[in-house]
Amino acid sequence: MSALVANCPACGAPVEFKSGQSIVVICQYCRSAVARTDRDLKDLGKVAELVETGSPLDVGLRGKWKDVPFELTGRAQLGHEMGGQWDEWYATFSNGWLGWLAEAQGRFYLTFQYPTPEGVQLPSFEQLQLGQQVPGLPWPTPLMVAETGRATALGAKGEIPYLLTPRETYYYADLSGVNQSFGTLDYNQSPPLIFLGQQVTLEEIGITTTRAPEREERRVGAAQLSCPHCAGPLELRVPDKTERVTCPNCNSLLDVNQGRLEFLKTLEKQWFQPVIPIGTVGEVPEGKMTVIGAMARSVTIDGTQYFWSEYLLYNPQVGFRWLVNSDNHWNYVRAVPPGEVAEYGKSASYGGKNYRIFQDAQATVEAVNGEFYWKVEAGEKVQGVDYVAAPYMLSKEVSTLYVTDPNDASKTKRAMGEINWSLGTYIEIPQIEKAFSVSGLPHPSNVAPNQPYKHWWVYKYWLLFLGVLLLAGVLAFVTSGSTKEVFSQQVTLPPLPNADGTQVFFSNSFELAGRRNIRIVGESPVQNTWVYLEGDLINDETGVVQSFPIDISYYQGVEDGESWSEGGQRDSAYTSSMPAGRYVLRLEGQWEKWQQPAVVSIKIEQNVTHGFNLLLALIALSVGPIVMGIYHIGFERRRWSESMFSSSGGDDDDDE
Amino acid sequence: MLKTLYTIFGVGVVGLYAVAAMLGWEIIGGGSRHQLPPDARQNGYRSFHFWHYGLHGGK
Repeated sequence: MSALVANCPACGAPVEFKSGQSIVVICQYCRSAVARTDRDLKDLGKVAELVETGSPLDVGLRGKWKDVPFELTGRAQLGHEMGGQWDEWYATFSNGWLGWLAEAQGRFYLTFQYPTPEGVQLPSFEQLQLGQQVPGLPWPTPLMVAETGRATALGAKGEIPYLLTPRETYYYADLSGVNQSFGTLDYNQSPPLIFLGQQVTLEEIGITTTRAPEREERRVGAAQLSCPHCAGPLELRVPDKTERVTCPNCNSLLDVNQGRLEFLKTLEKQWFQPVIPIGTVGEVPEGKMTVIGAMARSVTIDGTQYFWSEYLLYNPQVGFRWLVNSDNHWNYVRAVPPGEVAEYGKSASYGGKNYRIFQDAQATVEAVNGEFYWKVEAGEKVQGVDYVAAPYMLSKEVSTLYVTDPNDASKTKRAMGEINWSLGTYIEIPQIEKAFSVSGLPHPSNVAPNQPYKHWWVYKYWLLFLGVLLLAGVLAFVTSGSTKEVFSQQVTLPPLPNADGTQVFFSNSFELAGRRNIRIVGESPVQNTWVYLEGDLINDETGVVQSFPIDISYYQGVEDGESWSEGGQRDSAYTSSMPAGRYVLRLEGQWEKWQQPAVVSIKIEQNVTHGFNLLLALIALSVGPIVMGIYHIGFERRRWSESMFSSSGGDDDDDE
Repeated sequence: MLKTLYTIFGVGVVGLYAVAAMLGWEIIGGGSRHQLPPDARQNGYRSFHFWHYGLHGGK
């Protein structure tokens, strides 16, 4: 089809189909959806006025993708079954391509239509399972079902490349894969239409800064409203995103629809008080984030209900983030694409890191406070699974909604839902207090699932010191030189006067070098008896005396047919170096067979290499890390004692 | 704090080992060291009764 200028069949105003691929154009005067057929124009009905979403995009904007220029020629606004809406922009490329640029929660997905491959039969909408890979898609990597839902065409602008009928609903499935891959199966037709592409940034499609300042200005502009229930003042901090808000004056839960508030119900007396007040602006690494909402959630495990709180943060440039406070531990949480996560039984991997399952339970919203971007209410349930790899926690939440198709006479309920993955990073309390200007936050008494062990450093330091020590040992060995014998003599001590008596021997003087350790070795040919010597090295000049013991005892025999022995005919003693000089050896001895003389060989050596000092140093360096290691084991036990999947955990034990 | 303490301790241990290796020290088991009394040196220490109490031996 070619470009066409005609008159609107509803109001007669001129309408123009600039793109040959456009099927519908929205009359800018009466908002009628005008379709062109083979013969004439057809009025499909009036579309609703577009809801201001603060989008940085607009019809007429130009960009570039893979070096091919494009222009945004149309926009459709689609309503989500769970509340809220998203935008789809239609990009007409200069080479004839037609792209779909979806925008939701500040993220952008550029897709292109692909034909269904020959012989491939895609699953029907009812056959789709969340998390299931869709086979046969013309895409290099697997894509899994991240969301199934029903969309309603609400508003539109410009030219639309398909037959958009106002208020018409259709079913779709969003797909997610690695490397930011994204896709949609559009069940408006059978077989479904296939749209595949990837998540992109505005920078990647060449329109980053076009209207970003305007976008920020519009988004941060809070709206001052009155509660429809109590007429009290109420501020919407993110009016273009908020779907639900609680009134701080009368504690009513209000629905937000295009800036209009509608009373839903009065909440029970608010027992949940956020420790970080709504409206607080915090400085986090991603930028300044405003706390716009807080909720209390719980899980029930073995009949015990466990509560935690979640704070919704918002920055127009960054989008939504969460701050989760559980057992006085804090996590900073951001969403991750479902297709980037792989689950393997009781583990998961994301970003090259493996995570171990910690908990799998149904979480319930117990109380809400502030603004939320979906139609939240107390009692809302999701199935949540947590995987941990400190300091990170990878969480999956699966929500399911059963809806009846208004066009289905049988009123059969269809299951729809979505999988959301998020990555939490453990944050220390002082960081939270500093970032959000609060003080006195309570401290935890247990170990959080993803709380990092603080003392890993000790193992690194230990290895470092061991390395340095061993190097010093090698250097000492290499540079010390060889062992030198400075004295050697065989001594025969005469019989003792009585069993308690002693005999003393003095040697001739000999030279000892300074700064060299000393080893004294005594040997005696004893058999089933002992000889004990107290030795002294006496410096002739200074009178310094170094004492040492030599204890020789050797026993052997045969018992029950087996020979045994104990001790030895040799003993040695080490002493530290003595000042250089001349020394005399004194020996005073006792022995068991006192009536007989004792024969003893004595040898004195210097510069003897042995590993006692090195061993002592190793032990000294290792005591701290060993104690810390024992503490570390206890730390991990305490962490996993609270898991459903630990050997000491709950019913669903797992000894992985 | 712990990091600083362990660093100081580790440097001390490695340093002590290096000094002991250079000076020929035995960190433990080096025996006792005494000084002979002046009178023992003047009169000849060979007759001096040394500091060995309760000589003992055997199995």
